[in-house]
Amino acid sequence: MNQGTLRLSADLSALELSLLAALVLLSWILLALEVRRRGGRGLPVLLSGVLGVGLLSLAVARPVRVREGGVERGARVVALVDRSERLLLPGDTEESRRALGKRAVEALRERFRGQRLEVWSFGDGALVPERDGAPPKGAAPNGTTPNGASPSSAAPLSAASDLIGALGEAAQLPGERPAAVVVLSDGRLSTPGPLEGVPSSGGGSSSEAATVLGRHPTGVPLHTVSLASRIPRDRSIRAVRTTGSAVAHQAFPLTVEAGCEPTAWCHDAEIVVRELLEQSAPRELARGRVEFARGVGVVELSVTVERAGSRVLEVAMETADGDEVPQNDRKLVPIEVRRDRTRILHVAGRPTYDVRALRLFLKADESIDLVTFFILRTPNSRSDAVEGELSLIPFPVDELFTEHLASFDAIILQDIDARAYGLAPYFPALSDYVTKGGGLILVGGPGAYAGGGYAHSPLAEVLPVEVPASPDAVVKKSFEPRYTAAGLAAPMLAGLRDALGTRLPWLEGANRVGPARPGAFVLWEHPGVEVTGAGRSGPMPLLSLGESGDGRSIALGIDGSHLLRFGELGARASGRGHTALWEGLLGWLMRDPRYEAAQLRGPSPCFAGHPFELTVTPLPDMADEVTISLERLGDAEPLSAEQAAPRRAQGARSGRPVVVSMPGLPTGAYAARARVGEAPAARWVFVCEEGGGSWADSRPDPDRLRKLAELSHGQAVDAAHVDDLPLPAAERVLAFSTSRPLLPDWAWATLATVAIAAHFWLRRAGGYA
Amino acid sequence: MSRPTRRDWLLGVSAWGAASAAGLRASPAAAFAEQGAFHARLLGVPGREVPEDARTAASRWAFELVERTSAPGRTLAEVVAVDGPELLQEPFVVWAGSEDPGQLGRTAQRRLAEYLSLGGLLVVDDRAPGNGAFRRGVQREMQRVWPDGSAVQLPSSHVLYKSYYLLERPYGRVEGPPSISAISKGRFAQVLFLEHDLLGALARQGDGWAHEVTPGGAAQRRMAVRFAVNIAMYVLCSDYKDDQVHAPFVMRRRMRG
Repeated sequence: MNQGTLRLSADLSALELSLLAALVLLSWILLALEVRRRGGRGLPVLLSGVLGVGLLSLAVARPVRVREGGVERGARVVALVDRSERLLLPGDTEESRRALGKRAVEALRERFRGQRLEVWSFGDGALVPERDGAPPKGAAPNGTTPNGASPSSAAPLSAASDLIGALGEAAQLPGERPAAVVVLSDGRLSTPGPLEGVPSSGGGSSSEAATVLGRHPTGVPLHTVSLASRIPRDRSIRAVRTTGSAVAHQAFPLTVEAGCEPTAWCHDAEIVVRELLEQSAPRELARGRVEFARGVGVVELSVTVERAGSRVLEVAMETADGDEVPQNDRKLVPIEVRRDRTRILHVAGRPTYDVRALRLFLKADESIDLVTFFILRTPNSRSDAVEGELSLIPFPVDELFTEHLASFDAIILQDIDARAYGLAPYFPALSDYVTKGGGLILVGGPGAYAGGGYAHSPLAEVLPVEVPASPDAVVKKSFEPRYTAAGLAAPMLAGLRDALGTRLPWLEGANRVGPARPGAFVLWEHPGVEVTGAGRSGPMPLLSLGESGDGRSIALGIDGSHLLRFGELGARASGRGHTALWEGLLGWLMRDPRYEAAQLRGPSPCFAGHPFELTVTPLPDMADEVTISLERLGDAEPLSAEQAAPRRAQGARSGRPVVVSMPGLPTGAYAARARVGEAPAARWVFVCEEGGGSWADSRPDPDRLRKLAELSHGQAVDAAHVDDLPLPAAERVLAFSTSRPLLPDWAWATLATVAIAAHFWLRRAGGYA
Repeated sequence: MSRPTRRDWLLGVSAWGAASAAGLRASPAAAFAEQGAFHARLLGVPGREVPEDARTAASRWAFELVERTSAPGRTLAEVVAVDGPELLQEPFVVWAGSEDPGQLGRTAQRRLAEYLSLGGLLVVDDRAPGNGAFRRGVQREMQRVWPDGSAVQLPSSHVLYKSYYLLERPYGRVEGPPSISAISKGRFAQVLFLEHDLLGALARQGDGWAHEVTPGGAAQRRMAVRFAVNIAMYVLCSDYKDDQVHAPFVMRRRMRG
């Protein structure tokens, strides 16, 4: 497309040209007035004057002929495609909303073929460019979509649909302002929320549009393409809320909101809340019935979690016949349960200085709610008094280890003979207590371990060391315990090492125990006694840590930790060694982050079937290698060998976060353990769900899309009618421009001079002044 | 009472030296399960003798405890020097005497203060409560050792009177006052001032008791032994019997009594 035009010299500004035009016009007017007043031979004077002034002005303006060439190009149009996991839900037909969205994008590309269409996907983070025909990028879950569809986008899927954020980011994209924005979604957006206060027709005011659409540029129409309008038959748990914080041993309210569509199909459902545990069956916490009214039902449940820390609740309802999205009938809820006070049961078989020191430590800590039972009399004791003269009370072994067991955060069994004092029958309950998240410390003495009937017992199964039956239950040999490599790296012993270095008190003996169990950590060992068992051998453990199911246990095979308070070594650090030891041990037992070797963090949420990354932040000055292993909580199928295989990464020594790539996991709750070098492993609990929270409400919301379009004077269509979207006007783009003077400057000046000279000759000839 | 204190003194110090040389042993006599056993050690002050019968009383104290309770005890009497590091080896020591102990040296004061700051318990047993010179002398020295601590009367509800036996008052070789005074740190009484010659009631001579007990005779001695057991239990269990779980039992029994 070429065209030529006449223009004035480009070196004159508009003001200068305006002044010139005004002068010319004024000259002509004055000349006309003069000729009219004087008469005579006025016409030649007038004509020559007009010509002279005109030529003079052209000599100043120097007109040029401009020739330009260019093309017309399509307007810039930005398309924003929802990449929420929710789009994997069924649409109006068998295909998923995402598959329909992919086709709608193709239709959009066809519709805007002459336009400059940019396609971006939006979720809960930055916009991601969508490439035409790009294959899915590792985001396809393995058969996780309700209808078998795969994500069609190269971008990773998202938990949310933040349209407001996406519009704001689109406005900042480089390039000229778009002529239109097209949003492709099912309408169940995270932002903006339901537009209940916005008029449903007639368009919105600019202030309403600004309020709802945020930084979306005013005047740019927002068209919407609805990817679904049919509400699937679905009964789901839409939300689980707690008010306030969850405190161990205290009931807290749990509000479960369920949804059901279509309403005619809905009927009441029973909600069951269970706590998912490691290596142990889930524990039912509450049960209630939800009744639906207009598709929504809410039930308030009271839940008591006995163990503090990161816990996972499963809120589930039975799947109704014909439910198209059964995956959202169950929701996994990670919660942080804090501890008001640490409730500890301290049971000792006989009072000793070791018992005294531990009790003084426990009593001095205001955050500990201590329940103590000491056996003060043996069957052979000759108290020389009647019962009424004694302050003794019966050892409530049955009450403690049945009724009240779960209420304790930790149990310390110190030098108590389980056979003599009737503890052995409660070993299964104690073992179950540990696997369900309780903490246990077995402190040595002649009545502990093999000497107290613990060998090969159910309780021994949850200890970090084997307890073999042995005729010599005690090693009577003077020695100084020795730190292991794990002990030297263990954060829970850092305080003790700070106080005393690597010196430990000289002891006169120890309980005989077997090797550490697989996965356990030995922090102190006997320098002169070797043990063997179950194919393992090595120095006899003296202080060991282990995890069993959801709980932790500590085996201390000596009865002389009080020598860290008294004795020359204890006194050297003013008794701080004893406090430091027990603070560390109890802190680790209670999962205090200060005593973990590393902190773990992962994606939130984690989508089932999607590979993800775990971030491990080790304590400074730890070893270099990080090893991550996974364990599935609850009674679900165990992980495959490939999924459960430990993952390793380097770079922990710097103290900076180390990222470890993990494989996609099935829906469920998981415990990840990170071991940094030789230090005891740190644990983190997380959940992976299909669709994350985005599947909780499967209903599309085309009405919201329509309102958004109307607010910005755009158009709302469904995926089948993308061709109805209006095409923005094309833009013309200049390709070349040439200019050539009509006459040379000297010619204009000569013509003007001649014309003015002629004008003056005619004036004189006509009697003009 | 004989006066072999010089020998005791040397024995105690030499035993400590041997133990230190061998490592950081709690006690040369302690085996596994005995390192944490109750041990009524006697405090030796330079220039003051530890009476012979006090050694037998200390031994008897541990014996009675073992006989009557589940607590282990070490019956070997041991004298620890007030200014020696062995004082810090265990959390219990008895300072017994019948006359003014004299002024403690700087090292002794510092060691005693360190012992108390670690949580050790000191029983001051006045063997001649009639004149009170020993008790007054010790109280004077304790003011220098622990200026912030002052002795106050323990109420009859104190856990000392219910740590094993239910008792109404303190007992010893002599009747003495119906209560005892103590210097406490926090909720724990750490220095107990006895004016009843408790060691006198426990002291042995051959197969019999070393001293007559007045005015109550055998019954008073029986109660004195119980009081000694209660002190030992207080050392080992601190205020265990003050725990809430024991309160209703103890109250019911006291009311019945």
